[in-house]
Amino acid sequence: MATNMEEMLEDTVLLQCRVNNKPCELAIAPGTTLLELLREEMRLTGTHMGCMTGHCGACTVLIDGEVAKSCITLAATVQRKTITTLEGLKDADGKLTPIQQAFWDEAGLQCAFCAPGMVLTATELLKSNAEPTDDEIRTAMAGNLCRCTGYQSIVRAVRAAARVMKQLK
Amino acid sequence: MPHVNYGRLMPTVYVDIGALPELVGITEKDGEIAIGALTVHRTLQRDAIVCRALPLLAYSAAQVGGGWQVHNRGTVGGNLVAMHPLYDIAPVLLALQADVEIQAPDGVRRAALGKILAETSHGLGTSSLLTRILLKPMTSDAGWAYEKLKITAGSYGSANAAAVVSLSGNKLSTLRVVIGAVSEQPLDASEALHGLLGKPWDAAAGARVESLCSALPKTLLDDQQGDATWRRAMAGVVARRAVQAAVANAQRTSK
Repeated sequence: MATNMEEMLEDTVLLQCRVNNKPCELAIAPGTTLLELLREEMRLTGTHMGCMTGHCGACTVLIDGEVAKSCITLAATVQRKTITTLEGLKDADGKLTPIQQAFWDEAGLQCAFCAPGMVLTATELLKSNAEPTDDEIRTAMAGNLCRCTGYQSIVRAVRAAARVMKQLK
Repeated sequence: MPHVNYGRLMPTVYVDIGALPELVGITEKDGEIAIGALTVHRTLQRDAIVCRALPLLAYSAAQVGGGWQVHNRGTVGGNLVAMHPLYDIAPVLLALQADVEIQAPDGVRRAALGKILAETSHGLGTSSLLTRILLKPMTSDAGWAYEKLKITAGSYGSANAAAVVSLSGNKLSTLRVVIGAVSEQPLDASEALHGLLGKPWDAAAGARVESLCSALPKTLLDDQQGDATWRRAMAGVVARRAVQAAVANAQRTSK
């Protein structure tokens, strides 16, 4: 007869991935979302729980460098992948990235509930497009809802970040 | 996943097909383009074959709701088999007269997407797997458009329409229009619009497209995107706009 532990293990998936540059290995229930894993198991609460339908973007993370909504991503599907949350952007000294700094300087965030989506999407955008037009910025940001800024300061922040990153190259 | 998050679906078994490489990628052979079911929307937007031969599909994949986060992870096969009435890809693939390939325990079958959608009310069941979408390249003289009415750039549409046209002089020689997001299933309006073939595209033709397409839905969605009256009206409006844009596209292409 199976023990409780054996039954439990049968109902779990062994997940191996990297989260914010640290190896992660843990047994999870197959239905666990990546959002639940990050917030509840790993206490990475910079990833926000918003709509839970994939609309608002507050739960955004980078999976292998590409933005994804963690509320509609099953954690078991990120096997051997690299996850970066908002907490994982800053360097070891705690210094903000140029994009984070630009959002701070340009008031790109007010309540900051949308910060994961806005900042991480800008990160993916500026990696592939160093000088995006305003239209390209707005298109890239379309998967994120902000209820404070009216979006103008967000576009300004991304433009400012692009300028700084160009100077740093 | 939204249904799972809100407890409307409670799966007891999860099967991850994400690691099957055979289901990913786009190939072109013998005049036919095959798109693996796990190809994500972002790939459709940027793939050289799709951008050259199926520009309508490349464009519409960028209009899928949810933004880059969904485009990076959401697959063309998932978009189809979810059979969600507000999803963007089915109307476009119907306008492009796509076939689909389905793997079942008794073998592989190929069928027109329209036939599959008509046969099934939700999904393909638990024993079948959508493997590929098969399409002919669009003709070089084709004009195309995908119009979507939506409240934000990343949201679901309250009506959408895909149109493919070709012109002979200033007259319509091909006209395919499929309307989505107004009924449970996409509505192929091409037959209803047959009478416009051989006629010039002008304001009167546009008004005819609008009235015929508004009259087409037998049942209408009535949800957060808009009530049934709105949906019926917008079915016509979005179809007219799509044909108008497709004609303009064809005229540009022919210059």
